[in-house]
Amino acid sequence: MDKLDIPQGTLDLMILTILVREPMHGYGISQRLEQLSHGHFQVNPGSLFPSLYRLEQDGKLKGEWGASENNRKAKYYKLTASGRKQLEQHRERWDRVAFAITSVLEGA
Amino acid sequence: MTLLHRLRSVVHWIFHRSKAEQGLNDELQSFLDMSVADKIADGLSPSEARRLARVELGGLEQVKEHVRTERHGARLDEIGRDVRYALRLFFKNRAFTCTVVLTLALGIGANTAIFSLMDALMLRYLPVRNPQELQQVWLQSPGAKEPGGESFSYPIVRALGDQRDIFSGVAGFAGTSFDVGTPGSFNRVPGALVTGGYYSTLGLNPVVGRLLTDDDDRVGAPLSAVISYGYWQREFAGSHQAVGQTIRIKGNVVTIVGVTPRGFVGANVGAVADITMAIAALPQMYPTMAPLLGTGNVWLRVLARVNQGMSTDEATSRLNVMWSRLADSLINPGWPPSERKKIAESVFRLTPGGTGWSYLRERYRNPLYILMSAVSLVLLIACANVATLLLARASARHKEIAVRLAIGASRARVVRQLLIESTMLSLIGAGVGVAFARVLGSILVGLISTDLSSVNFDLTPNWHVLTFSSAAAIVTGILFGMAPAMQMTAVNPLVASKDESRTTAGSRSRLLPSLVVAQVALSLVLLAGAGLFVRTLNNLQSLDPGFRTEGVLLVELEDQRGLIPPTLVEELQRLPGVLSTTVSTHTPFNGWTWSEPVMPAGQPLPERDNAFVVAAGPRFLSTLQSQLVAGREFTDRDRRDGVPVALVNEAYAARYFPNGSGIGEHLSTNIAGYKDFEVVGVVRNAKLAGLRVAAPPTVYVAYYQLKSARATTISVRAAGSLARVSSAIQQTLQPKFPNTPIEVRGLSTQVANTIVRERMMAMLAGGFAVLALTLACVGLYGLLAYTVSRQTKEIGIRMALGAQASRVVASVVTGGTRLVTLGVLVGLPAVWIGSRSIESLLFGVTPLDAVTIAGAILVLLAAAQVAAYLPARRASRVDPLEALRHE
Repeated sequence: MDKLDIPQGTLDLMILTILVREPMHGYGISQRLEQLSHGHFQVNPGSLFPSLYRLEQDGKLKGEWGASENNRKAKYYKLTASGRKQLEQHRERWDRVAFAITSVLEGA
Repeated sequence: MTLLHRLRSVVHWIFHRSKAEQGLNDELQSFLDMSVADKIADGLSPSEARRLARVELGGLEQVKEHVRTERHGARLDEIGRDVRYALRLFFKNRAFTCTVVLTLALGIGANTAIFSLMDALMLRYLPVRNPQELQQVWLQSPGAKEPGGESFSYPIVRALGDQRDIFSGVAGFAGTSFDVGTPGSFNRVPGALVTGGYYSTLGLNPVVGRLLTDDDDRVGAPLSAVISYGYWQREFAGSHQAVGQTIRIKGNVVTIVGVTPRGFVGANVGAVADITMAIAALPQMYPTMAPLLGTGNVWLRVLARVNQGMSTDEATSRLNVMWSRLADSLINPGWPPSERKKIAESVFRLTPGGTGWSYLRERYRNPLYILMSAVSLVLLIACANVATLLLARASARHKEIAVRLAIGASRARVVRQLLIESTMLSLIGAGVGVAFARVLGSILVGLISTDLSSVNFDLTPNWHVLTFSSAAAIVTGILFGMAPAMQMTAVNPLVASKDESRTTAGSRSRLLPSLVVAQVALSLVLLAGAGLFVRTLNNLQSLDPGFRTEGVLLVELEDQRGLIPPTLVEELQRLPGVLSTTVSTHTPFNGWTWSEPVMPAGQPLPERDNAFVVAAGPRFLSTLQSQLVAGREFTDRDRRDGVPVALVNEAYAARYFPNGSGIGEHLSTNIAGYKDFEVVGVVRNAKLAGLRVAAPPTVYVAYYQLKSARATTISVRAAGSLARVSSAIQQTLQPKFPNTPIEVRGLSTQVANTIVRERMMAMLAGGFAVLALTLACVGLYGLLAYTVSRQTKEIGIRMALGAQASRVVASVVTGGTRLVTLGVLVGLPAVWIGSRSIESLLFGVTPLDAVTIAGAILVLLAAAQVAAYLPARRASRVDPLEALRHE
């Protein structure tokens, strides 16, 4: 199946959403993203890691080293309070954007 | 996100960089491991899984680089790397680096030197409390657009100080010098005379002791002096015992009461006041100077502090209300009514005075602006030169940059790196330039300083100056770096990475020559300007002032009371080497003049002075070698018992005795108590007040007919060594006047002092023009040498086909001449604009003087021939075989 490009500016939103439920490592996030998007999105590590580092640096995520399912050393990312707030804001904005676009497309 | 947070993460990144790098490594490795494990679980072979995982990751280093650029402070890191790389490059190309740094150091150094002088003279605040609150007080004549009167009489300053509802403080001051010491060993110390409110207005606190107050500024108060920090250190080694000690000034005992803070040397910018005394002390110290306390002498500059909360406008209007009330009592009753009326109708003005006052400002503002423009042009030429060097070197770096672009560096990134290199070069250049500016700055101050009025500036680089030179460095770095950087990165990596880098040089061949054209044009402007200043100086120096300046010594006795007795003059006359001796109240360009209303007998006296007056002794004309046109000069018989006689100069005679020589006519006036003079001679016009102005109508009266003392100068014409005669004069006079400092100086020095500004302009403009010319020639040489080296193959082929060496030389030189001619054409309009702005400083030459401009063009062409000859000769020695094998 052909993969879609992740729309500009939405990767952060998806990362934050994925991390709401539980802390995850980079590989886990990329797998979950692919799975949740029914295989339409595949995130490239060259985009994923810079995003993770930026979010961590800005205090939206907190990274901690831990052991993975099969006992590998991995860095787990956890949502911080400020990350949760940003998620809410971005989520609300995205909902409005999606609603607006859908309305336009259906009204036309 | 807060700034603090951002800053913290930058700092964190700087200090924990290696740890962070390690973390990133581990994380990516674990990502890869998991990916591989999943793929194996999906049934791929381990090697296939690893390969696929790698492909999906898309290059470990690229991912890392992407992450790094997301980090705060990543920029900083990259810049740090660029800086290190640039330093390595500089070290590898030492000859190139030295050339560039030296070129820029000259350019930036010259700019810094001129700027630091401008800063010291015009921009720097006095080191006093809240200098920005200080206002300078002016009196503006009715109808005048600019405030003009900056000098006030002592009574007016006192009256201003009494206006407590306007000013919280008023300071009046004037520079002077004091002869400190015991008989026989005087030391002339620069000083200031101030009103009692001076220090409190400036808001200074003493280092030790106390400063002068209103109590010191009363006639009859004990003589007290405040000394500067520097004088305290030099003369008293900074001892606290200095306070209370006495010094002798002209036989008066003066008590030192305090020391001013370090850095403060008076409100007169450019002059140092080591000893400061109250004005009211004058009559006690020098009885002849008592009139300085009256309304007739306008000599004090005034700085004032307006009351807190009052606007300058309100202060000004209140001041003018006060003036309309008090003007009458404060204006000298002896002045003509029209003059009094004009002053009474003048209005006060306040202008920001935090930078103090200086007579130098008026005199050197324009010259400094002109010099600043000149050095900016020099810097532009230097920039063009460095840009040329960078471009010429570009071919060597072509491959490096092509590789950088090919492996994925963005163009912006490479441009930034090149700009960092050029900015670093200019910063290093600026560093060297600041040191060079120190030297040039003190030479400059030495040029405008004369033995009569020494000029002192603290030229230690301060933050103004350092900011200026770093700004200049950064701007120039970008200026000369930008074009080469854009050009070097505008390449197709595929083409450039192949060996044939020369094929991409097409567009460069336009930029390089245009830089040289620009340099030539700018040099032409500087050369023409320098030519005009040099001719101005020449015109002034070769001007016939109406007397002969060489071979005359001027002798002044400080505090001379009464007329100089004829016996004393005769005694000097007998000294070996002395040809002729005389006395007079004025000597040419001595800095002050005497004027009076003088009319032919029978005509009413005008209200305003219409003639300069000089009281001169016997042999005055022969001593100065001024020519007598008709009649006789003063003789020993022209004494008080004789008929009052006068000489007039040609200008006076021409105006007032148009029909006849004037000899035998009578003058009606009121000079020295005489109402009538008989004209006994006519003198050739001799300049008195300045070389630039024509000799004014002048009347000479006989010195020994004066009824009261006037400050007198003894003039001595001598043959042979003036120094020997000078010391003989000192030895003869000093025993007769043990308490009096005796000053002997040459008339030629006094004349030279009037053209200090012109000499400075000629020397500096000339120096900068030579610098510009040299730089432009180096630029031209660089371009031609580069062209020749690129055309080695072509030249080789031409020579193999039989071209003569002379033809090859000619073609290179012609190429150079064509560029210079183009530069001259571009430069001429700039000369036209530029020379107009210096018109007011010129003398005897028009701004568009054809000879000067043609001379400048010739100099340029000649210099260009020299610059072109070396590469041309190299071209002519190309060995065809060698050249064809070259590729």
